[in-house]
Amino acid sequence: MGNRNSALAGHYQVGKSGILLNGEKAGVHLQDVHGLKLYQVAAWANSINAVGAKVANTVGCERAPGPCKAASVGEVAALRIEPLKWWLYGVEAPEVDAEQGAILDISHSRTQIRVSGPEATSLLNRHLPLDLRGQSFPVGSVASTMIHHVGVTLWRSDNGYELFIPRGFALSLWEGIVDSATQFGVEIA
Amino acid sequence: MSATRLTQGGRINRDKEIQFSWDGTRLNGYEGDSLASALMANNEVVLGRSFKYHRPRGIMSAGVEESGAMITIGEGNRRDPNVKATMQELYAGLVASGQNAWPSVRHDVGAVNSLFGRFLAAGFYYKTFMGIPPMEWGKGTGPWMKYESIIRKAAGMGTASREPDPDVYDHAHGYCDVLVVGAGPAGLSAALTAVNNGLDVVLVEQDHQLGGDWLNQPTELVEQQRLDMIDRLEKAGARIMIRTTAFGLYDGGTAGLLERVTDHLLRADKHLPRQRFWTVRAKQTIVATGAMERQVAFGNNDRPGIMNVSAGRAYLNRFAVLAGQNIVVTTNNDSAYATATELAKAGASVSLHDSRALISESLMSEAGNSGVTLRTKSAPLNARGSSGVYGLELAVAGNAGWKANGSEPCDSILVSGGWSPVVHLMSHRGIRPVWNAEQACFVAPEFVSDSIHMAGSASAIWNNDDCLVSGEAAAVKAINALGGSVHSASAPVAGGWGNPIDPLYEVKVPNRILKSFVDPQHDVTTSDIRLAHLEGFVSVEHLKRYTTLGMATDGGKVGNIIGLAMMADIQGKEIPEVGTTTFRPPYTPVSIGALKGRNVDGHFRALRRTPMHDWNLAHGATMTMAGLWDRPWFFAREGEGITEAYIRETETVRRTAGLCDVTSLGKIAIQGPDATEFLNSVYSNAFAKLPIGKARYGIMLRDDGMVMDDGTTWRFSDTDYFMTTTTAHAGKVMVWLEELLQLRWQHLRVHVTSVSEQWAGCAVAGPKSRDILQSCVEDPAVMLDEALPFMGVMETTLKGGIPVRIARISFSGEMAFEAYVPSDYANALMDLLWPATEAVDGCLYGLEALGALRIEKGHVTGAELDGRVTIDDAGLVKMAATNKPYIGSVLRNRPDMMREDRPRLVGIKPKDTEATFNAGAILCAEDKVSGLGEGWITAVTHSPALGHWIGLGFISSGHEAWAGKTVIAADPVRNGNIEVEIVSPHMFDPTGERMRG
Repeated sequence: MGNRNSALAGHYQVGKSGILLNGEKAGVHLQDVHGLKLYQVAAWANSINAVGAKVANTVGCERAPGPCKAASVGEVAALRIEPLKWWLYGVEAPEVDAEQGAILDISHSRTQIRVSGPEATSLLNRHLPLDLRGQSFPVGSVASTMIHHVGVTLWRSDNGYELFIPRGFALSLWEGIVDSATQFGVEIA
Repeated sequence: MSATRLTQGGRINRDKEIQFSWDGTRLNGYEGDSLASALMANNEVVLGRSFKYHRPRGIMSAGVEESGAMITIGEGNRRDPNVKATMQELYAGLVASGQNAWPSVRHDVGAVNSLFGRFLAAGFYYKTFMGIPPMEWGKGTGPWMKYESIIRKAAGMGTASREPDPDVYDHAHGYCDVLVVGAGPAGLSAALTAVNNGLDVVLVEQDHQLGGDWLNQPTELVEQQRLDMIDRLEKAGARIMIRTTAFGLYDGGTAGLLERVTDHLLRADKHLPRQRFWTVRAKQTIVATGAMERQVAFGNNDRPGIMNVSAGRAYLNRFAVLAGQNIVVTTNNDSAYATATELAKAGASVSLHDSRALISESLMSEAGNSGVTLRTKSAPLNARGSSGVYGLELAVAGNAGWKANGSEPCDSILVSGGWSPVVHLMSHRGIRPVWNAEQACFVAPEFVSDSIHMAGSASAIWNNDDCLVSGEAAAVKAINALGGSVHSASAPVAGGWGNPIDPLYEVKVPNRILKSFVDPQHDVTTSDIRLAHLEGFVSVEHLKRYTTLGMATDGGKVGNIIGLAMMADIQGKEIPEVGTTTFRPPYTPVSIGALKGRNVDGHFRALRRTPMHDWNLAHGATMTMAGLWDRPWFFAREGEGITEAYIRETETVRRTAGLCDVTSLGKIAIQGPDATEFLNSVYSNAFAKLPIGKARYGIMLRDDGMVMDDGTTWRFSDTDYFMTTTTAHAGKVMVWLEELLQLRWQHLRVHVTSVSEQWAGCAVAGPKSRDILQSCVEDPAVMLDEALPFMGVMETTLKGGIPVRIARISFSGEMAFEAYVPSDYANALMDLLWPATEAVDGCLYGLEALGALRIEKGHVTGAELDGRVTIDDAGLVKMAATNKPYIGSVLRNRPDMMREDRPRLVGIKPKDTEATFNAGAILCAEDKVSGLGEGWITAVTHSPALGHWIGLGFISSGHEAWAGKTVIAADPVRNGNIEVEIVSPHMFDPTGERMRG
C-alpha cells in the first residue's frame, strides 16, 4: 500500500519560531501525528453494554469510557464521542455484528494535531471556547468543540491535547494555530 | 492656564525622559505619563475642536470620560482617531495630532461655525434640509441627500486610515470563578478576599497600574497598603490583567474584555497582537468600576482650562503637574476639599467655592488651615476666556435662585458637580439603577443579581476604608454563592461624606444667555435640552436621540445626569420620574480589528481543501470557491483563458476522457439493520430492493413536498450504504438525516456518519474512461461490463494495493466512473490516473466544464433545486414512487403543486446561434415583456457539442407548450432582450446511449 499523505504535507515546517523563552524555549509544541488509525464503533440503544464491553476489551481497559471521557492503555484508546458511539484510536476495530452495532473506518477523515507544552491550554483557548482548567478538563477528557466555526474533537491525553480536525479544514486551521502560537514561542516537531 | 511640572513627587520616572510629537512639534514627557499629562506639562492647552461649533477644547478629565482632548494617534495605516489623550499611555516616538480642525486645532477655520451657534441648535440640519420651507420643494429628503456629505464633513471627529490595518489582533477565551472588574481599593480587596478563599480569580484593570483612585491620592498615605495588597494577590495566584477593559457584560456570566497588548509600545514584537479580544466566562462577577465626577452646566464650561476636580488631583499627585497657579475650585460636595488643600500645598493660590450654605467646622478649617480661600453659597456662572481661561464669573445663592456675584481671576477652573457610580456593566444585564436622592446619583438596586455584586464607589461609597470593606463584602457574597460559608461585616451603606451633597446641575441667572454645555463631546447645550422640551420631546430616550446627548463614544458618561435633571426641572418632576438611560456595551470603544481577530484575508473563513488540492494546483488548476471548498475551476493551457479552457475540456471529455476532482460531494455512511427501510422512507423513489453492488440515483423531498437534494446511493452489503449528496447541500442533508433518526424514527437501528473527509473522489468521464481505470486497477477484469455494468459499484484495489471504491455513474452523459480512495491516498490515485489519461489524449477538467457537460444533458444541480421546485417541475416525476410513503409524499400532491402551468425545467437556445444570454434572465412571452414573465434561466454555457450557447431554466407549462414560439430572455440590467427557443432540457444524447456504452 502506498504512503499516506498528510493534509499538511508541503506546508509543515519543523523547527522553532516566535517569542522563545531565553531565545530557545517554546511555550507550545505542535505535532502532526501521522498514520492515524481511527474507527467509529456505534451501538444500538439496547446493545450499548455489549458493544462497550468489546470496546473495553479491545483497548484493554476495565470498562468503556462514559460520555466526554476517554480510556487509554499505552498508545491505544477509546473516546466516547456520542451517546451511542466510541472512537477506537490506534487499534483495529473488533468484529461487531450488525444486530449489535456498526464499525466504520474513519482513519483518513481527520488530521491529528498534538498540542503540548506549558502554554498549550492558553493557545487552545485562543481558538476554542472550552473551560480547559485542570479541574474542568482533566487528562482523559473528550469534547466536541470548534475552531473558527469548524467542528473539531479535543482529547486531553497523557501526551497533551490531541486535536482531531476534519481533514479538508486541517491546513487552514493549522495555519491559524501556528500563527497564534508564535506569541508563546512554538516548536513544531 | 499655565500648568507646570513639579520638581518632585508623582508616579513618573524623571530618569526616563520620553520624546513624542504633538501636531508636528517634538515634546518631552516622562515614563509614567499619560499623553494628556505630558501635554499639560508642556502647557499645551488647546488639544481639540468640538464636534459642531469647532470650539477650542482642552483636557477636561483624567479618565475614560474625556470629552475635550480627543486626538488622533499614529500615522499612515496605523492612524487611530478619537483616542482620549487621558487614556493614552505615553511612549517614546508616539505621534499625536489634532482632529476635526483645519489647519490646526489652535487655528481652526471651522470655528466660524460658533458664530452661527444660535442657528445650529438641536435638529438644525434635519429641519433645514428635510421638509421645512424654504429648502423644501416637495421632494421629501432630496435636499438632505444632496447636502449630507458636506454636512457630515463639517461636523464630526477624527478620520480612520483608509489603508488596510497592518496589525494583528487576537481572540481569547478565559474562565474563572470570580471576575473582578476594577483594581481600586474595593476591587483589590474583593480579589484578595476571593483568592484567599481558594477561588480562581481574574482581576481586570483598564489602567496600566493597579490602585484605581489610590493612584491619584498623595502617595505617602496609601502607597504601602496598595503595594502590599498587590503583592499578596500575586502570591496567592490571582490572575491580573492590566491595560484591559471589561467593556460589556452578557448572559451567563460572560464578559467582553479588550486587552491593549502593545498600544503602549512604538514597535512591538511582530508575534504579539496589537489588541486581544477576550470572552471571559465567570461564575461570579464583582463590579468595582468606581465613580465618575460630574460637571455642572454654566457659561463657557467647556473652555480649555476647566476640568474635573478629581482630574486636577490626578494630574497633581500621579503626574506631578499643577494645573495652574491661580486655581478656582468649585464644588457642591465634600470631595473637592482634599484636592483644594493638596493644590495649595503644592504652591498654587486656591480659592474654593462651595454651593452649599452650611458645612461643618472641620471642613472649613481643613480648607482654612492649608491657605485655601473658602466661599460658601457660591457657584460658577460663566468662564472668561477662549483658548484658555483668565477668570470666572460667580453666582451667589439667593432666595429665588442664583444671582451674579462678581468674578475672580484665575488660570484654571476645577469643577465638581457630584459623583456618578459607574453602573454600566450592571446596566448591560438589564438591571436598572435606582436614584439615591441623598447622594444625588443613580446606584445599583439593593439586590443586583445572584452572580453580580457591586463594590466600592461603584455603589456610591465615598471613602477608602469603606471601599475596602465593601470589596470584601462583595467577595463574601460571591464566595457564598459558590457554596462557601463565610461571614463578614455587612457591606457599608452608600455615602461617606460629613456634609450632604447639594444637588447642583446648572447655574444660570435671569436675563443672561449663556453657552452652557451638557455634553461637550456632541456640543449639546442647556438651550438644546430646553428646545427639545419645547418641541415636545418628553421622553428621555427621545431627547437623547434628538439632541445627540450622550451618544457615540461618550455613551452618556458626562452629561446624562445633567440632562435628566434639567428635564425633571422643566417638567416639575423628580429625576427618577423622568427616567434613566440604559447603558449598552461597549463601555469604551472596541476596534473593529479586535472584533475580527485573526479571521481576516485568507482566514476570513476557514478554507476547505480537497486532498488533491496541491496536486490540482501543480497541474495548472485555477481554483474557485464552492461554499467553503476551493475547487478546480478550469485547467488553462498556454494561451488559454477560462472560455477556451472549459470549451476544450468539455470537448475532450466527449471525445476521449477527462478527470475531475469531485471530493467536495457530500458522502454519508448509512449503517444498520434498518438502513434499507430508512433510505426507502427518505428517498422519493424505490430503494427497498437496491441490489448489493449497485448504485441508484435518488431524490429526497422536504416535508412540504419540495425537492431538497439529489444524489446517488451505493449499496455494499445488507446493512451498509454509501450516500452522495450535492456539494452545496452536504451539511443540510446530514443534519436532516440525523434529525429524522433522533426525533421521528427512533425505532430504526441506523447510524449516519459523514465520511466526506474520509474519501477523496475523482470522476473519470468519457468514452475512454474504462481504458484509463483498467490500466490503474490491479485486476483489469473488474472493469468489464459484466463485472461493473452501468450503475454498478464495487470495492477493489488500485495498483500498489490502494483500496478503491468505483461506481459506474455519469453526470456528464458519457461513460463515466467515480473512483474514491481514502483521502491520504488522493495523490497516489491522481498519479495513477493522470498518465493513463494523458495516454488517451485526455485532460483534467474543472467546475466550468463540469457545468457545461451537465447543462448539455439537462442534469439539475443546486441552481435548479433552489427550494421552490417540485419533483414534477424538475421533470423527474418518474422518481416519485406511488406505492410507498416517503418524506414529502403527501404534501407534494397539494393542488397548487400539481398545477399544469407550473414552471417546468426546460432547455433554452438562442434563435440567433451567435447570441449569448445570462443566467438570471427572465423568460417572457414575445408579446408581453413585463413583470415576472413566464419563467427564468438558471444556468448557461457554451455547448461545444451543439456549437452554440445553451441554457437551463424553468418556464410555465414546460417546453411542449412553447414549441415553435419565440420567447424573450429579458435581462434589462445587463445585455437587454434576446430571442430564444424553448426545448427539452435533454439537449445532448437524450436517450443516454453514450453513458450506457
